[in-house]
Amino acid sequence: MQDINIKKLQNNCFRQSKVAGEFMLQLRVPGGLIDADLLDIIKHVCNTWGDGKFHIGTRMTLNATGIKYEDIPAVNAYIQPYLERVEKEMCGVEMETDKGYPYIAPRNIVACIGGAHCIKAAQNTQKLAHALERILYPNPYHIKVNIAGCPNDCAKAHFADFGIIGCTKPIYDQDRCIGCSSCVNKCKKAATRVLSLNEQTHKVEKDACCCVGCGECVSVCPTGAWRRPDKEYWKIVLGGRTGKQYPRMGQMFANWLTTDTVLQIFANWPKFSEWVLGGKPLYIHGGHLIDRAGYHKFKEKILEGVTLNPEALIADQVHWTEKEYRSNIHVKALADHVTVKDA
Amino acid sequence: MASNVVTPKAHRLVSILPQTETEWTFRVEHHGPVNHGQFMQLSLPRVGECPISISGFTDDTVDFTIRRVGHVTDELFNLKPGDDLFLRGTYGNGWPYQEIKDKNLVIIAGGTGVSPVKSMINALHDADGDKQVYLILGFKDDHAILFRDDLEKWRANPRFHCIYCLDHMSAEGFHEGMVTAFLDQVPFAEFGDDYACVVVGPPVMMRFAGLGLLRQGVPEEKIWMSFERKMSCAVGKCGHCRIDETYVCLDGPVFNYTKAKQLID
Amino acid sequence: MEEVGLKRLTGDALDRYFGTLLDRFQIWAPVCIPAGGRYQGQDAVQYKPVSNWRDIVWDRRSDYSSREAILPITQTLYTFTGDDYREVKPKQAKDLLILARSCDIHAIRHLDEIFLQNGGYEDSFYRRVRDKVHFALMECTHEFDGCFCVSLGTNDTDDYAMRLAFDDEGIFFEAKDPSLDCADATPSDRAFSNPTENELKVEFPEFRSIEEVNELKSHPMWDEYNSRCISCGACTIVCSTCTCFETRDIVYSLNHHVGERRRTASSCMVAGFDAVAGSKGIRLEAKDRYRYKIMHKIYAHDARFHTGPMCVGCNRCSAHCPQLISYPATINKVSQALREIREQEVGYGE
Repeated sequence: MQDINIKKLQNNCFRQSKVAGEFMLQLRVPGGLIDADLLDIIKHVCNTWGDGKFHIGTRMTLNATGIKYEDIPAVNAYIQPYLERVEKEMCGVEMETDKGYPYIAPRNIVACIGGAHCIKAAQNTQKLAHALERILYPNPYHIKVNIAGCPNDCAKAHFADFGIIGCTKPIYDQDRCIGCSSCVNKCKKAATRVLSLNEQTHKVEKDACCCVGCGECVSVCPTGAWRRPDKEYWKIVLGGRTGKQYPRMGQMFANWLTTDTVLQIFANWPKFSEWVLGGKPLYIHGGHLIDRAGYHKFKEKILEGVTLNPEALIADQVHWTEKEYRSNIHVKALADHVTVKDA
Repeated sequence: MASNVVTPKAHRLVSILPQTETEWTFRVEHHGPVNHGQFMQLSLPRVGECPISISGFTDDTVDFTIRRVGHVTDELFNLKPGDDLFLRGTYGNGWPYQEIKDKNLVIIAGGTGVSPVKSMINALHDADGDKQVYLILGFKDDHAILFRDDLEKWRANPRFHCIYCLDHMSAEGFHEGMVTAFLDQVPFAEFGDDYACVVVGPPVMMRFAGLGLLRQGVPEEKIWMSFERKMSCAVGKCGHCRIDETYVCLDGPVFNYTKAKQLID
Repeated sequence: MEEVGLKRLTGDALDRYFGTLLDRFQIWAPVCIPAGGRYQGQDAVQYKPVSNWRDIVWDRRSDYSSREAILPITQTLYTFTGDDYREVKPKQAKDLLILARSCDIHAIRHLDEIFLQNGGYEDSFYRRVRDKVHFALMECTHEFDGCFCVSLGTNDTDDYAMRLAFDDEGIFFEAKDPSLDCADATPSDRAFSNPTENELKVEFPEFRSIEEVNELKSHPMWDEYNSRCISCGACTIVCSTCTCFETRDIVYSLNHHVGERRRTASSCMVAGFDAVAGSKGIRLEAKDRYRYKIMHKIYAHDARFHTGPMCVGCNRCSAHCPQLISYPATINKVSQALREIREQEVGYGE
């Protein structure tokens, strides 16, 4: 029987196994896209120190199961080039890489493949994931970030603390429009039904306020009458989560933010966490932190010093609908809350 | 500078003659030669332009019988005599009137398809001669009957053998059934070689009427058909009416069956 | 003809030369529309009037053809004030200098056939632009993916006022029209060269009779396009030889008596193209529309004008198809289907 500090190992991204003395390594893949040659590293770890199995983490980590406690230093030494390549070179994170990961709290940034491949993508998710990784890692405060490349939200941004959804604000050039109705039909079928064909002019009219910004109209336009602006837009959906106690879907906090605005807002998150948790980096979902602070206080803190782009819209009020297995975390003092006290 | 062929010119609306609830005849001032079966491009500012068959003409007027089915036609129904509408044309070849007028004729038309043959029937009606004219004219129902006055006038002509029918009902003077059901009442054998057939109407009706005539032993070259196709220009530019190398606006709308049978859209 | 070296113009000298051209011409050239492509992060290359030679995209095939310089997608023909149609005077007083590839210059022949010849009617709106058109032939330094101009003999042309090739510093050019020459240009060894061979070779089928053509129309080869083709019309919009249009009257929203009559490109691939008022149309399925388009390109236009296929081998249609339907592959299927039809006929005869 070994004496093992599992909390310390967890922070090192080694997760405790059912089998005493065994751990699962989780390699971060911010955005979920890396050079394929890096797979040799996880493969070698699995085959050399693990049990020969490999798990694709639900948050897009590369997981090696069955690693023996005593092998962890060797594994950490071996994965150093991975951290150098992924964290430092790809994302630009500044960190030490010789002892493995310093924190598990900011979970790996999940992203769909997005504009790197997907024909439905409104934005490039990888680029944003790398920029966010620079802000959130390393850092002791817990946060789950999911980035979806378009409002279809395959990346489940609606179930993350901080969900970011790529969108676009299509530009319509009526002189290029031939009135074919492709966009109208597509919007009707696949989006928010905001387009209609003016029967008299045979040009398209748009109920812009309900446009979700998916860009389907652009993708189906045969003439380029609809095109994406050369500018990145995002929505932020906040406070979503899964979990045994209070699973709920995130709600839209902001719409039509440019990348720069998103990054400014995101940079305030660790400060907000620190403030609301009184400097103690506890594992509490982001939505709970917002509940604790109250939405308006949260809004004040998260927008502190932020210059919003002109198109940006911020929610005046946000109402989450919980599936309340246990509720009222927001009306109890943190210290009184069993879940939190144990954390 | 050559004049612009697609510029519509203002023409005065002389009178309006309602035929049915939804089909009216508009008589418009017009001077110039017209062939039976030709069409013109009719414009109204704000609502656009479309091709319309000439259903009758004099030296000073042309008639358009129009069903209320589209933008242009809707707006037309709000016009009053004295208003201007805009025309260009005439377009298309029209019926080979000189070639067939002295023959026995079998004229098969359905619905608004009566419009493009009406002026020709009236010319035959007014002409002297001893040749027989068989009119097989079909309408959807009694509300859709066009040119009632003309129908009665033609019925009274002893050289005219009129079979008027309604698709799914009978009425006084109208049999029940499709035009194709009455082809066997035409005594083709009595005509010898001296006859021609004229067919105009919706595409399906024309196809079956054509096949029906062939079954009666009518040679292909004795059958003439008029095609209705979408057109934006009527001068061979817009491409809508093209069927292979044939432009209905330029080469039609009337085709001999030997050609028409090859026109597969 | 003996190849002579092209003249060289770069930097400031080229700026000045371009300036003198701009005094005389509206210059149309392929330019980049950032993010203007179908998918996220993709640019588009379209023909636009340019004022700086540096904006010209010369190292890739434009996504849309140069016909837009002559036949814009939307064009106002008339204005009306309730009681008359008044022809709109052309906005552009200058002549047009269109920087076009050889294939696109060949395409103008087909546009001319429709707009200046068909039915003996000449289209005034086309004519007044056409008379102002001068071509600057752009060299295809290399062939682009899927080009088959050589199969159609459209890989070179004499119909140009000048011809030119680009590199990052400037142009190499030759002015056939002496008024387009430039005294500041320096000689070079570089010759003008367009591709004389394409990787892709396309053999257009020859049709022997209308019966054969009509039999082909009901051949099962078209069936697959019902599930593949989405009838979007993208192929026809980028096509350098497509000409179909619709006219429509538009009122200005503040005064319903005043408005314009516009001509807008239309596509036989789009449902409703063949629908007269009150009817659904004739070609109701995607395969019918696709067949109609293909047969126009490879048979019908030639049958009317006897000037070859209505195609110049640019293959933009395939490049722009969101469903990745290849036009050359379709032509091959037509050839195969024709062989089947002919074999069967021989079989019946025996």
